This record gives sequence, structure tokens and C-alpha cells, in this order.
Amino acid sequence: MRHGLSRAASWLRHAADAIAAAMLATMFLSFIITILFRYVLNWPAGWASELSTVMWIWLVLFGAAFLLREEDEIRFDIVYGSVRPGIRRFMTVIAALGLVGLFLISLPAVWDYVTFMRVQRTSYLRIRYDWLYSIYVVFAVAIICRYLWLGARAAIGHDPMAGNSNLERGE
Amino acid sequence: MDPFTIALLVIGAFAILGIPIGLSMIGGSIVYLYMRGQDMGLVAERLLNSMFTGYVILAVPLFILAAELMNIGSMTDRLLRFCNALVGRFRGGLAYVNIVQSIVFSGMSGSAFADAAGTGRIIANMMTRDGRYTRSFAAALTASAAVIGPIVPPSIPMVLYALVSNASIGFLFLAGILPGLLMGLMLMVVVFLTARHRSFPVEAPVPLRQLPGITFHAFPALMMPVVLLGGIYSGAMTPTEAAAVAAAYAFIISVVLYRSVSVAQVYSSLVRGARSSVAIGMLIAGALVFNYVVTAENIPQALRIFLEGYDLTPLQFLLMVNVALLLLGCLLEGTAIILIIVPVFIPTANALGIDLVHFGVIAVVNIMIGLITPPYGLLIFIMQSITRAPLRNIFIDLVPFIAALIFALAVITLFPDLVLWLPRQFGYQG
Amino acid sequence: QDKPLLRFSAVFSDQDIRAQMIQQFEEAIAEDFDMEIHYGGTLFSQGTELVALQRGNLEMGNIAPQDIANQIPAWSILTSAYLFRDADHLLAFFESEAGDEMKAMAEEQLGVHILGPTFFGTRHVGLVPDRRIETPEDMSGIRLRMPPGEAWQFLGEAIGANPTAMAYAEVYTGLQTGAIDGQDNPLPNVQNMRFYEVMSQIALTSHLVAFDLLTVSSSVWNEMTPEQQEAFQAAADEAIAWSTAEHQRSETELATFFTEQGLEVYEPNIDAFRSFAQDRYLNSPISADWPEGMVERINGL
Ligand code: NA
Ligand code: NA
Repeated sequence: MRHGLSRAASWLRHAADAIAAAMLATMFLSFIITILFRYVLNWPAGWASELSTVMWIWLVLFGAAFLLREEDEIRFDIVYGSVRPGIRRFMTVIAALGLVGLFLISLPAVWDYVTFMRVQRTSYLRIRYDWLYSIYVVFAVAIICRYLWLGARAAIGHDPMAGNSNLERGE
Repeated sequence: MDPFTIALLVIGAFAILGIPIGLSMIGGSIVYLYMRGQDMGLVAERLLNSMFTGYVILAVPLFILAAELMNIGSMTDRLLRFCNALVGRFRGGLAYVNIVQSIVFSGMSGSAFADAAGTGRIIANMMTRDGRYTRSFAAALTASAAVIGPIVPPSIPMVLYALVSNASIGFLFLAGILPGLLMGLMLMVVVFLTARHRSFPVEAPVPLRQLPGITFHAFPALMMPVVLLGGIYSGAMTPTEAAAVAAAYAFIISVVLYRSVSVAQVYSSLVRGARSSVAIGMLIAGALVFNYVVTAENIPQALRIFLEGYDLTPLQFLLMVNVALLLLGCLLEGTAIILIIVPVFIPTANALGIDLVHFGVIAVVNIMIGLITPPYGLLIFIMQSITRAPLRNIFIDLVPFIAALIFALAVITLFPDLVLWLPRQFGYQG
Repeated sequence: QDKPLLRFSAVFSDQDIRAQMIQQFEEAIAEDFDMEIHYGGTLFSQGTELVALQRGNLEMGNIAPQDIANQIPAWSILTSAYLFRDADHLLAFFESEAGDEMKAMAEEQLGVHILGPTFFGTRHVGLVPDRRIETPEDMSGIRLRMPPGEAWQFLGEAIGANPTAMAYAEVYTGLQTGAIDGQDNPLPNVQNMRFYEVMSQIALTSHLVAFDLLTVSSSVWNEMTPEQQEAFQAAADEAIAWSTAEHQRSETELATFFTEQGLEVYEPNIDAFRSFAQDRYLNSPISADWPEGMVERINGL
């Protein structure tokens, strides 16, 4: 059971990696297509440059939801990194509660905005904006779940920095 | 207490409690909107619209990808070997290599973050291997050298400045070259003055007869700045597109020319590039969301009214701008400063007869230095996450480098002709 | 007692003629309202103001007709080439019955009340190569930078050019380096972006009378008493008339200035351009949603 779960988790992590890599590659290739079309073939390629911005916004929000590991985050850890693990656990619980609370109270308004955007479409690919922007809702829900999880783990005694403090990043 | 102050306090509290900076700024913005009774959906609105329409921001992930692609092949190695052959023989050799490499690399890259996260990562690892330099020194030096990246063209911050000031991007790029070189020189002076005292190691000297061979092997990599700048000035591409071309060039050199790369390596560089892009993208996103709060509170307006109360000479004004931007750089993200704060100063600069290209270079240099000034400096955080050195030690090691860069800034401020000489050679009337 | 606050956001800078226009307007309504003005697209960026108005995050805006057309396809008629002859024709249309119909559409479907068109210049073609342009055929093969977006790209095709999208900030370098052969902008933009430094000629094609719409949200408008509405509208009309006259004056002066700077400034065969462009529009799916007979009614004004 436990073995199966961790295999599923690892499979999901690899899937997130692959999706993010594909998004970045698509973004890059559409940029190259824009340049080639304009200068070599003398065709407009607005759809390609729009595709690259679509990929960028999805990459950032999808990635912030599913790709980033705790050690990838850019944080101000001058205090956080140097206190005793017990205090750090307490800090994590407080911060997680605050962040989850804020994301929760803003969620209805966010949902309202995203669904409102169905009245517009993007200029080239004609993507309805509510679909395009739905990734923010996914991101917000993922952040809520993630910080509930991090807060709960800290509450039951797990040091948030255990395993990655003062280690070279293993790449 | 008013909502704006509370929002600032919340951001500070979240950051200290260990929440990532981007999320902290989003959290603070939610608090502000909630207290003002405004639509909290604006958090999503701001983030989504500014990320989706800010075409120039795309240069950031593309430059990061370019750096990753340069790093998987032997391209960076060859470049570093070339720099090592030039300056490795001196005491503190790798420190000089780090600076020279940054200057060369800044001709290929438009983002200080990409420089730090890309080649900066490699050279910092080289410096700390076997404990030859302390991790905090490697982090401090690499962050300081990365500051040069967006001064020498191509440059994302210059593009953003051109956007708000209507100054010519082409002339701004040319104006950055000499100041960038001066800043590199100043960093080398610091290494030179401290090398003996800190007993830095010397690299094995490379025999001069090997220099032509090493140069030949590094040649395609060394040509990259020529390709990018040549491309921009001959009309083959826009400054933003140069980022994609940089990645394509790196890919072609590493995969086709040097044939040093496997499919698996390309894939993992895409994943790493995506990770760095996401982490930095969230930071930019948070700043863009918080920009809404700063603007809605009319902070720029208040500043302008405050300024009009004083009768400043151009030099007094520039010095004041320098101090203000350096202080703001301790607290705010660079993009936010360029897009929100700098425009506030432009009308006054214009009225005082200050050249807007000169002013742009000063502003960008200032903001770049702000990226390495504690307590809030993105370059410090990036180097900290790469080297895992304690922030406190990095701060201490940064002090002489910040001093050297501020000296360079003073020279740039006092001698407009140094900045404008090169643009004038290309026909700039200013 | 506190007066209601009107938050206004616009893309133009505080140095723009339209900034003075909005300040005049602010003074004229100062008895009834406080205004909070944001310039340079800092509060809401270009293209996002309309949704902000609709969602109650702004009370007033200077909205591009393209943004309205994005939600009401029938409005795309007002973004087409060679529809209005000049600024006076544009103003006359918004005073007319046909104009009222278009405004009512926006009021009903979007919940915004349009006060009037803010003219900011006539779009002309400016080129780097010095070949003379007389007809749309002479434009063939010219890489003309148009603003990003499908409607803009089509406008470029409708004057015979090979349109290409590029960020506004990159246009100067693009012209200088030859990445593009030309751009289409009103003369004041050509001056303040210094495009004239790197161009050899301006063909006064007058292909689009450029305007935005001074707009107030319906909820604010409907709260006003009829007398307040009348005063509000009169203040807007006066400010718009002043700004339009200023822009017309500046266009005349700039044509002379560019000639002095050594540029070739001349008028091509406008009739050839107009029939070519109107033909392109009427034969494209864009015009499918246009109100029946509206082109003729506007032409007849
Ligand atoms: Na650079
Ligand atoms: Na800083």
C-alpha cells in the first residue's frame, strides 16, 4: 500500500516535470517560429507569439502548483533558516494558516473574475479567456492544499527544512 | 493603521516566516484589497493580465533556457577555460575568471537572474569545490558579477526603461557598454586588493602557446555576443527575440557543433530551466500584483509632489535619485522599480535638462545594485539557493563589492560623457 | 460630506494632450465628484480597463473601440479602415442617431456609458525605404508594423501591406535596423517616439481616424440626477472638443516639422486606398457582424 502510494507520487512528479518541460519547449519553439516566419518567409505569425505567452503563463502557474519543490522556492530565509527546528515548525504552522486563510477568502472573488472573462477571446488563437485563466484557480487550490499539508506536517513534528538544510542542491 | 502599511507588514511577516517572496506579496495584496473592501479577484486579474500581455518578460525564461543549454554542452567549459587562460594565473584566479566570464556572458544575456542561475551556478560550484573559496564569497562575487549582465547589452531592464521613458533602446544598449566594463574593472580591483590578505588560491598557469588553441575552441561561444548584437543592430531580430536566438544558438553549438549532448541532457536542462523560470516567474508575478497596490495608493504621485518642494540642481537631483533607488532596491523588486518608481522621476529629470539615455543607465545600474543589497536582493537569494551558504555570511562578503559598484555608479553619474560617448559615435544627438 | 470618487485609468502618459483634457474635465465636475487619475496604464494596463469598469474596479476609463469589439462583434465596424473621413466626421457620428444606436449596444450589453470619442490623430504610413506610394499596390511586400492583435493585422492587409506584429517599444530599433520597413501611427506618436529620425517618408494615407472612448460605468451614470448627467456630459463634450482641436493643430504643425526634418510628406491616391480597403473588409468574415446598412449611414453623414 505504502509502496504503491510512493510509486504513484513519483510517477506524478515525473509527469509534472515532463509537462513543464514540454511547455517550456513549446514556448521556445513558437518564438523561433515567429522569427523564422517573419524574416525568412515574410509571413505574420501572431498565433505563434500568442502561443508562447499562453505557455509562459501556464508554465508559471502550473509549475508553482505542481513542479516546485520546497528547496526551489525563492524565500527570505535569514531568520527561517537559522532558528531551532521547533521554532521553525511553529513559524511554518502560523504562516501556512495565514496563507491558506487569505487564499481561501479570495477564492470566491477569483472564481468570479475568471468565469467573468468568458466574454473575451484571445486575438489569434481565439481561446476563451475563462479557459486560459482557469489555471489561476488550479494554482490557488493547489497552494491551499500544499500549505495545509506543509502546516499539518510541521504541526505533527516534522521540521520543514529537514533533509535540505546546508546541502548542495542535488541536480 | 492604514491598509497599505498593514499590507507591507503582512508581506514582511510572511517573508520572515519562510513563505516564498512571490506568495508573500500576493498574500499582502489580498490583505490590502480585503481591508479596502475591493474586489479580491484583482489579485488574479493583475497577475494574469500582466503576465499574459508583458511580452518582454518572456525574455527571462528564454535567457534562462539559453543558459541551461550552454551549460549542458562543453560551451561554458570552453568559455571558462579561455577566461582561465587569460586571468587564472593571478592570485584569486578563479575570482577574476568569474568576473571576466560575467562580462563576456553579459554580451549574450539580458537578465542578471539568468546569468546567476546559469553560468553563475557553474563557476560558483568550481570556486567552492575542495573548499578553495568559501561558499559565501563565491555567492557574493557571483551575484555582484551578475549585476553587470543587464548593463552590457542585450538587457531586459533597459528595454523596460525604454518602455516608460520613450528613450531609444538602441542608444540605451550602446550607452551601457562602457559603464558595464567599468563595473567589471571595479570588481577586479576589489579582488586584487583582498586576494593576498585572504590568501586566495592561484590556478595552474596555462602556457601561452596553448592560448590560440583554447581561443579556437571557445570561438563559437565567444561569437555569441557578436551574433546577438549584430543581429539586433542589423535588424535580424528585436531585443526580446534575441533571447530566443541565444537559446537556439546555444542549442546548435552544443548539440550540432560540439556534439557533446545527449537527449536526456537536453530533457533535464528543459526541466531545470522550467524550475528556475517558475521560481523567478512567481517572484515577478508577486511584484506585478503588489504594483497594483502601490499604484492604487498613489505612492508615485505623493513622491513627485514631495520632490517639487525642493529646488534641486541636476547633480543634486541625480544623487538624490541614486540614494532613493538604492534604498528602494533594499525593499522592492527591480521590475517594480523600473515600471513604477522611475517614471515618477522622469518629468523632473527632463525639466532639469538631464539626458534621458544617461538617466536610464544610472537608473538601471542603481536597480541592478539593488539586487545585491540586503535585506532584499533577488540575486542574493538565487546565489544562496545555489551555494547553500548562510545569508549572513553572504551579506558580509558582499560589502566590498557593493562599495566598488557604488563607486562605479558615482563615476557614471558624474561623467555623462563617459556614458554618451559610444551612442554619439553612432549618431545619437544628446 | 464626501463626494463620490471616480477612479480613472488611461494608457496615455501625463504629458499627453489627453491628460490635459481629463484635467479640464476633472475641474468641470469638481463640485459633484472627486477624481483619482492614473496615467500610463499603471493601474490597469492596455486592454484591461473595460473589464475593470464592468466589474466595478474602475468608474471611468478611456477605452479603445477594439476592446468593445472584442465583446460586441458588431462594434468592429468602428475599427475598420476608411470609415471616418476626419475628426469632425467622427464627432458628428457619435452625435447622430446611428451613433446613439452603437452607444446603446454598449450600455445594454456591457453596462458602460459612452460620453464621447477622444480623437488622438489620424493614422498614416511612415516608411524607411524612399519608394513613392500612390496606391495600395505600391504597398505590396512592405513589412509594416501593426499593433499586435488580429484586427490590427487585418487593417495592415487592408491597405495592401504585409503586416507584422511588434511591441510598440521595439518599433524604433525595428525601423533603424530594417527588421520592419514601416509603421502606421498618428503623427504625434511619430514625433514623441522619434520614429521620424529613422524614416525617409510619410505617406498621408489617413487610413484610420484614431480614437478611444471616454466612458463611465453605467452604475455611476444611473446614480446621477438628470441635471448631474447633463452637466457631466457637457463637461465631457467641452473637454473632448478642446482636445480634438489641439490634436488637429498639432497634426498640421507636425507635417511641416517632418518636412523640415528632411522627410518626404505627401498625400497618395486616397480614393484608391479607400475602395481597396472597404472592399477587403466587406469581403471578409469580420464584416459579417456589422449592423445592416451602418456603413452607408456613416458615409452619408
Ligand atoms: Na546583457
Ligand atoms: Na536589494
